[in-house]
Amino acid sequence: MRTFRALPYAVCVLALVGAAACSSGTPDPGPGGSTGVVSTGSVKRLEVTVTGTTVTPAPAQVDLPIGSTLELVVTSDHDDELHAHGFDVEATLKAGTPTTLRLTGTEAGLYEVETHEPALTLLTVAVR
Amino acid sequence: MASLPAALASALPPALGPGSVPAVVPAHGVGSRGDLPLPFTALVIAAVAALVISFVAISTLWREPRLRDTDGVLLPGPVAAVLDSRWLRVVARVLAGIVTVWTLAALVFGPDSARNPVPQVVYVWLWVGLAFSSMLLGPVWRVINPLRALHAGLLRLARVSPDLAALPYRWGLWPAALGLGTFTWVELVAEDNTSLGFLRVLVGVFFAVSLLGAAVFGRTWFDHADPFEAWSRLLGLLSPLGRRHDGRWVLRTPLHGVNGLRGQRGLVPTVAVMLGGTAYDGFSANLSWATFVQSSPLPSALLRTATLLAFFGFVALTIWLASVVSVRLAGEPFSRSFSFVSDIAPSLIPIAGGYVIAHYWSLWVYQGQFAWRLLTDPLGTGADLLGTADLTPNDLLIQPTLVATIQAVSIVVGHLLGVLAAHERAITVLDRRAAVIGQVPLMVVMVFYTLGGLTILFAP
Repeated sequence: MRTFRALPYAVCVLALVGAAACSSGTPDPGPGGSTGVVSTGSVKRLEVTVTGTTVTPAPAQVDLPIGSTLELVVTSDHDDELHAHGFDVEATLKAGTPTTLRLTGTEAGLYEVETHEPALTLLTVAVR
Repeated sequence: MASLPAALASALPPALGPGSVPAVVPAHGVGSRGDLPLPFTALVIAAVAALVISFVAISTLWREPRLRDTDGVLLPGPVAAVLDSRWLRVVARVLAGIVTVWTLAALVFGPDSARNPVPQVVYVWLWVGLAFSSMLLGPVWRVINPLRALHAGLLRLARVSPDLAALPYRWGLWPAALGLGTFTWVELVAEDNTSLGFLRVLVGVFFAVSLLGAAVFGRTWFDHADPFEAWSRLLGLLSPLGRRHDGRWVLRTPLHGVNGLRGQRGLVPTVAVMLGGTAYDGFSANLSWATFVQSSPLPSALLRTATLLAFFGFVALTIWLASVVSVRLAGEPFSRSFSFVSDIAPSLIPIAGGYVIAHYWSLWVYQGQFAWRLLTDPLGTGADLLGTADLTPNDLLIQPTLVATIQAVSIVVGHLLGVLAAHERAITVLDRRAAVIGQVPLMVVMVFYTLGGLTILFAP
C-alpha cells in the first residue's frame, strides 16, 4: 500500500499543471485590449470591414461601460443585414457603403454583433 | 451560453425597408444577452476549492458505505398528503395541458416572426425551465408530460388497459440519449431553428415518434425513452425533495438521490450528452472558436456538428478510460470496466447539474420572464390576453457579481457532490482495500471536467 500514498499528491500536481495549462492557453479578454477601438470621452469608435467571411479586425471583445456609446462603422463587400443583439438594433448593409450603428450600454452583459448572410460574428460588446 | 440566445434572436424580422438607417425593433426583441466572463479571482478560488475537495476526499473520507435508503428528514403528514394528493397532480396536468394547447395554437396559427412565443417555450421553458424545476422539485415531467396524458387518455377512450403494449421494451436509456443529443443539436447547431416551419416539423416529428413508441411499447416508453423525462428524472435526482425506499416523502441530500440510481443501459451516453452538450454550448461562444469556424472553408454547420459530437464522445471516452484504470488498479479484469462505468456514471449528474445552473441561470431568469410578453399574444393579433404585454423582466437576480458567484459556486458544489457520490459508489462496488486507489482516476476526470467548465465560463 505504501506506493499508493503518493498517488493523491501526484493527482493534485497533475491537476494543477492542467489548470495552469488551461488558463495560460486562454486568450486574455483584458479591458480595452481589442485593437482598432478609438476612445473620445464616453464615445468609443470602431471600424470593421467584412470581406467575404473575413472580419477585420479579427472578432474581439469590446468593453463598454454602462452609459457609454460605441460607434460601430461596418463596411461589407456584399449586401447583408447587421444585427446588434441585446441593443435590438438592426441595419441593412449595402456593399461598399459604411453603415454606422450607435450602441449605448444600459444593462450589464455580453452582447454579440453579427451579420446574417452569411452568419458572422463581428465582435462582442461587454457592457459593465 | 451565447449560442442559445443567438439562436432565439435569429428570428428577428429583417431590417425595415431598403437602405434603412438602424431600425429599432420592439424593445428587448428576443433574448440575446450573455453573461460577462467569470472574473479571474472567482476562477482561481473555484479551481483551488475543487482541487482541495478532491484531495481531502481521497485521503480522509469515510471507508464504509454510508448513505442509507432510510436516511432523510420525513416531511410532516399534511405536507406529504398534499404532495401525494390527486388534485395537486390534476391541477399540474391541467396547467401543463393549457400551456401545451396555447403553444400549439401559436405554432399552427401564429406569426412567423420574433413575436411568436414558440421558440421561447421550447428552448427556454421546456429545456432550461424543466432542468431548474426538476433540480428543485424532482422528476416533475413524469407528472405533467402532456404526451403521457394524451396517450393515457387515448387508451381510456378506446377502453383498453393503460399498460397495453405490443412489444417488450429493452433499450434502456439509449433512445433518450439519442433524443437528447438530437435536441441539443437542434438547439445549438441547426440553422433557422427558431423559424416556424422548422419548429412545426420538430414538434410534429416528436409527437409522432412519442405516440408511436408508446403505442408499440406501452407507457414504459415514457419512463425510459422520452428525452425530456430522462432529462427531468436524472436532474431531478439532485432535488432535496424525494421519496424514501418505503415511499414516504423526505428531505434529503442530492447524494441520496444520485446514489439511488443504478447503472442501466444507455446511462453513460445519456450523461455524456447532458454534460457534453452544456459544455459545447459554453465553448461555442468563444470568439476565437467562432472566428475559426466562420472563416474556415468547411461548412460551419458541419464543423459545429462534428465538434458537438466530439464533446459527447469525449465525455463518454474519458469516463470509460477512468473506469478501465480504476478496475485495473483494483486488480479486476478489463471486462469489468463496462459495468463499473455504468455504476459510477450517476456521479457525473451533479457535475452536469452544476454546469446547467452556471450556463443557464441568467437565461432562465431573464428569458423565462420575457416569454410572458410573447405568450400574451400567441396569434400575433396584437392581443394582450394575459395582461403581460408590457412586462419588464426583473434583473435583480442577474447582477454580474451575483451571476459570477452563482456560476462559481454551482460548478464547485457540483464537483463536491460528484466526488462524494463517486467515493460512495467506489467503496460500495469495489473491494474495500482497492476502493481508495480505484477512485483516483475518476477524480482526475472530475477535476478535469470542473476546470474545463470554469475555463469555458472564464473565456466565453
